[in-house]
Amino acid sequence: MERWNFGANREVMIAPSGTTVRGVLKKIMENLDKDDPSRPTVPLGHGDPSPFPCFRTTVLAEDAIVDAVRSAKFNSYPPTMLGLLPARRAIADYLSHDLPYTLTPDDVFLTMGCAQAIEVTIRVLACLGANILLPRPCFPSYGAHASSNNLEVRYFDLIPEKGWEVDIESIEALADENTGAMMVIINPGNPCGSVYTHQQLKKIAETARKLGILVVADEVYHHLTFGTNPFVPMGVFGSIVPVLTLGSISKRWLVPGWRLGWLVTSDPNGILQKTKVVDCIINLLNLISHPPTFIQGAVPHILEKTGDDFFSKIIDILREAAHICYDRIMEIPCITCPNKPVGSMFVMVKLNPSLLEDIIDDMDFCLKLAKEDSVIVLPGVALGMKNWLRITFAVEPSALEDGLGRIKAFCQRHAKKH
Amino acid sequence: MEVVNGHKKWGFQGNPELIASSISVRGVLTKLMANRNKDDKRPTIPLGRADPTEFPSYRTTPVAPDAVADATYSYNFNCYPPTVGIVEARRAVAEYLSKDFPYQLSPDDVYLTGGCTQAIEIVVSVLARPNANILFPRPGYPQYEARASCSKLEARHFDLIPEKGWEVDLDSVEALADENTVAMVIINPSNPCGNVFTYQHLKEIAETASKLGIFVISDEVYGHLAFGSNPFVPMGVFGSTVPVLTLGSISKRWIVPGWRLGWIVTSDPNGIFHQSGFVECMRNFLDITTDPPTNMQGALTQILKHTKEDFYSKILTIIREAADILYDRIQEIPCLTCPHKPEGSMVAMLKLNLSLLEGIIDDVDFCMKLAKEESVIVLPGVTVGLKNCLRITFAVEHSALEDGLGRIKAFYHRHAKKE
Repeated sequence: MERWNFGANREVMIAPSGTTVRGVLKKIMENLDKDDPSRPTVPLGHGDPSPFPCFRTTVLAEDAIVDAVRSAKFNSYPPTMLGLLPARRAIADYLSHDLPYTLTPDDVFLTMGCAQAIEVTIRVLACLGANILLPRPCFPSYGAHASSNNLEVRYFDLIPEKGWEVDIESIEALADENTGAMMVIINPGNPCGSVYTHQQLKKIAETARKLGILVVADEVYHHLTFGTNPFVPMGVFGSIVPVLTLGSISKRWLVPGWRLGWLVTSDPNGILQKTKVVDCIINLLNLISHPPTFIQGAVPHILEKTGDDFFSKIIDILREAAHICYDRIMEIPCITCPNKPVGSMFVMVKLNPSLLEDIIDDMDFCLKLAKEDSVIVLPGVALGMKNWLRITFAVEPSALEDGLGRIKAFCQRHAKKH
Repeated sequence: MEVVNGHKKWGFQGNPELIASSISVRGVLTKLMANRNKDDKRPTIPLGRADPTEFPSYRTTPVAPDAVADATYSYNFNCYPPTVGIVEARRAVAEYLSKDFPYQLSPDDVYLTGGCTQAIEIVVSVLARPNANILFPRPGYPQYEARASCSKLEARHFDLIPEKGWEVDLDSVEALADENTVAMVIINPSNPCGNVFTYQHLKEIAETASKLGIFVISDEVYGHLAFGSNPFVPMGVFGSTVPVLTLGSISKRWIVPGWRLGWIVTSDPNGIFHQSGFVECMRNFLDITTDPPTNMQGALTQILKHTKEDFYSKILTIIREAADILYDRIQEIPCLTCPHKPEGSMVAMLKLNLSLLEGIIDDVDFCMKLAKEESVIVLPGVTVGLKNCLRITFAVEHSALEDGLGRIKAFYHRHAKKE
């Protein structure tokens, strides 16, 4: 091997598969008992309900894609790497419905899913020479990208007892002269299933303003709320603090495979322009790949014409699933749920390993659960909280009942004898 | 941090130069387009960018949009894809490429990407580490340099020899390589030169690379677009001599550059990429980068399997005829010479003889003035690494090509040095 000049690149190895949701789930799924074909696997680990018939996207969206590809108008390189103008305009209009000001197409940048929006955001941060503040627990892509860009990450807490509210004091304690230019909030929450109130978001905005840092609002689950708190976009407070809003059609339209997302500057005072953050974004977008042109071409139709009946149907199913999930978890002694989920597709629950025989921690729990009962759940350690679990409820309600029933049986089987 | 009005000023300031790419084809073309005369009523002749989609003769096969429609309506492809790509699509690529290989590729050798653009992004990023360098051809494709610069990977350039059909100057490759060189890039069929490397020459490249301990990245985005006497030979054929990373996409052969579907393939029967840990690195990187849409991947299987031979030959015929037109008309323009008649891809390099022109200082000046006076867009060679040359696309509607070359001829006459 000495004669070849290339080999493992230590730098790229910094973000090994253990730090992404897909990576961790892959490990757990390797533990499935392949010799048990009698029971289908119940996938309660990832946020992708699209395989289930009740979560099929609207035919309108599929028609839009097919019309665009058949039109032959979208086969060429796009005129700009920032996104086709009609798509950017449609997204600006779509988001402006919920804002006290109007976004323009120039505020909108198209990305390959929210995943690429996150990648761009982190690389822009590297350009600012700063670090980043992430919530704990957090969707691990932020940490993975920060790590592979050699950026420092600091974590602030979300408080389980208070509906996973942001611990404002912990943010203020983290900030110093070298602080992070950015703090990330994910609302509706992944992994927590929480939805912040207008009041809570305003407080976050004011705190960020005081510290001189900008807010990255990951709103990939925008409008997926089914509790009492309505969805309030962080951009509402864009005049208090500049906001980078990340989103996509993946969750609301149940098409994560289509990879159509956006990065939007919700910043009526133009601070992101003045500080050249926008120039950084543009320079970066000119270097990387972009969504297929025909998918961009379908965006205006999808955003403008999808009816409320489709949206409400999906919300109803999610609400029902969230109820089922919460009720069944209450029946399992070694698992507690501090907050009933009111948004997104997930709930964070606390595991009490001391009530179990021979289960050391959350990862052990998940590995054994996969092996013995073919149920996949995400261990909290992947999100920064050991001995917690993230459970997806966005699956067919019957599959959910089945899966939670098996988890209950698993816990009974492993319960410590007194 | 200063405190102003009771709160700190913004603690962030962007430094766009950190990601400013020095030169891009797109950037230069934008400047040229902006230099056109707004009062010129004639249609612009776009001979700068290799994207013939606007021309009816170059319409893609209906198999392609049908495949996307089927995949979308099947409802099987709305989910997240696996990070390496869905297995049916990877199998289809493996089978498609293996037809021209002396060994069989497996689906595990294939990684799906968002176009060849993302393939380049991934490969260069994975190779970047302190002190490493990589060898690029000159003239070449500037995205490689931009990417290397962004990843802090040192770029070194070896020459392509115009008098020898733009072959690789292997002596210059050996002179450049040292113990920190990780790989060399070849683009075959060539962008920007329009040549197709012979089997013999590719073998020599493989043997040189192997001797130097570096692997070959073979950018085959124009794969199979070879219409001259040299058939297209994939570099992977020499995979047992030297490990080869084959990059490709459907963008050019199917005339759908906007669809962004490409691949990285390890053409390496001796498994050196695995043993050296390179594959693991690439998989790690793929775990965090974004993927091409699942419905596009679902369509790929059908596209690769069901496209008919007559579509491929039709496109090749149109491009061949266009290359002939280009070569013939260039003979009539004294200040331009074509060192090697194009036999592949969609572009050719021309030499510009400034001594025959009055008041034109270099290739950029030539192109800017041509845009302004004749609404014809041609790419100045400095963009691709060779000053006082031009890169010209011939993959356009034949009538537009005749029109454009006629206007270039008129431009020459207007600027010719008087005896």
